[in-house]
Amino acid sequence: MDKILKFENVSKHYPNGVHALKNVSFEVNEGEFVSIIGPSGSGKSTILRSINKLIPISDGNITLDGLLVSQQKGKELRKLRRKVGMIFQNYNLVYSLSVLQNVLHGRLGYMDGLKGIFGLYSEEDKKEAINLLNELGMEQFCYNRASDLSGGQKQRVGIARAIMQNPKLLLCDEPIASLDPSSAKTIMDLLRDMTRKRNIACIVNLHQLDVAIKYSTRIIGLSKGEVVFDGPPEKLTDDVIERIYNTSRENLMIGGAGNDKKDSADCA
Amino acid sequence: MTKRIPLIAREQKRMYTIFIAVALVLFIATSFYTNFNIMTLAQNSDAFWAFITKDFFPPALPKASRIPGVLSSVVVTLALAMSSTTIAAVLAFFVSLFASEKISPFPKLAKYVRGFATFLRNIPALVWAFILFSSLGIGTGVGFVALLITSFAFMVRAFVETIEDVSQDCVESLQAVGAGFWQRVWQAILPSCLNGFLSWFLYCIEVNIRASTIVGMVGGGGVGLTLFSYIKGFQYDIAFSIILLIAAMVIVVDRITGKLRKEILK
Ligand SMILES: Nc1ncnc2c1ncn2[C@@H]1O[C@H](COP(=O)(O)OP(=O)(O)O)[C@@H](O)[C@H]1O
Ligand SMILES: [Mg+2]
Repeated sequence: MDKILKFENVSKHYPNGVHALKNVSFEVNEGEFVSIIGPSGSGKSTILRSINKLIPISDGNITLDGLLVSQQKGKELRKLRRKVGMIFQNYNLVYSLSVLQNVLHGRLGYMDGLKGIFGLYSEEDKKEAINLLNELGMEQFCYNRASDLSGGQKQRVGIARAIMQNPKLLLCDEPIASLDPSSAKTIMDLLRDMTRKRNIACIVNLHQLDVAIKYSTRIIGLSKGEVVFDGPPEKLTDDVIERIYNTSRENLMIGGAGNDKKDSADCA
Repeated sequence: MTKRIPLIAREQKRMYTIFIAVALVLFIATSFYTNFNIMTLAQNSDAFWAFITKDFFPPALPKASRIPGVLSSVVVTLALAMSSTTIAAVLAFFVSLFASEKISPFPKLAKYVRGFATFLRNIPALVWAFILFSSLGIGTGVGFVALLITSFAFMVRAFVETIEDVSQDCVESLQAVGAGFWQRVWQAILPSCLNGFLSWFLYCIEVNIRASTIVGMVGGGGVGLTLFSYIKGFQYDIAFSIILLIAAMVIVVDRITGKLRKEILK
């Protein structure tokens, strides 16, 4: 298995003095499906955004596909970013454009000059985008405005855009936090199946413990900017959960404790 | 004995009291300073009414040979407002991209770009017109530049706010995709902000129709200059017709732009 991503003693101080990450170290290999869990404010989003340098880190090293992220600038940085797909809680689509245009945005990192600026995509790219929308069950919405879709459909467009990049790594920042339980399940299933099929490593920020346990091959537990757990879901004992969330497992489950909980029962 | 229960916080009540007191004191002080007295106005109301009823009424048409000239001066005023606003909007779009820390490729300079626009905006179009007339001489060209400067500065500010409101999220996602600056501008900022930009643009046209009449009066040409020349010639009845004409023009333009803006924001 090839190593895709490596964090070595990464720290992040925001300009306002918040110490968001403290000496974070972990690795991600090809084909892994890693969940990062932790209470809000523990630094999950900061970790994801530092991987493609949307946020610069203060200390330590991040190596992505053999390259030191902090050293990439300009054209090199664009090249690095297109290897990393990203999916957001609020979908972050351009709502006045069509679904197809939004999916094709995934190709922009590969395009230069006026073609890229005015969105003159190649016929192959367009065909691939339509195939992807087919695979996601969205073919009938190609020419709808992105603003006319439901939340679950918007997130599927977000997935298609990320996959269009032909990424080696997919970052998902609370992808189901704004969705109802049934759309949430569809999205999580799609994320798992599509990344598995294409051998894309996936890192998902989640605040639904049960979802993380069900889908992940590995879980990273974060508390106040520090990694307090890194291992397979089976090893996530009640003790560890208490250390991550500073509260007992029972208190985390909306609708009471118990192991017969539904998928993403505590979705926000 | 029970105390009455107040409905608003005490600090708030005190603030209102202070505010009213200050406004009253300011009114008295400024009236005294400027010798303005509401009573003088009432005393002079006879002369004022005589002026309105005798000199202005009834509105009279200018000589038939002059009418095409008057109408073409209205067209000049409209054209002045439209062309200056259009060019200002295009310039403001490009400058506003560099005036927001959140999207500019040179975030450190954004503050200065905004500061420059604020400086330009705080000088009224009329003052710009006078400054430019004294250096470049009178003419429609100068009126054009005066309107251009103020509406440009206004739109930079309005566009920056639109951009920061609307396109934050999608700019981030295109950045993550590896899109360059101009790709983000054309593929995310422009499509998501276009309606907002157009709405501000139409608002600026409304403002500039009025402003171009006034700038015209001091030498910028158009219907403003026509009006001013009749007033200078004491032909108040003809001036009155032109004032009505200007009012009609403003109302028509306001209604058109208002309708378009509603349509856009739907
Ligand atoms: N842009 C920012 N500027 C300053 N502080 C920030 C910024 N973004 C996040 N933070 C702070 O950093 C900490 C971690 O935030 P974040 O990574 O968003 O956590 P999570 O995604 O786990 O909720 C929080 O205390 C948050 O307030
Ligand atoms: Mg977050």
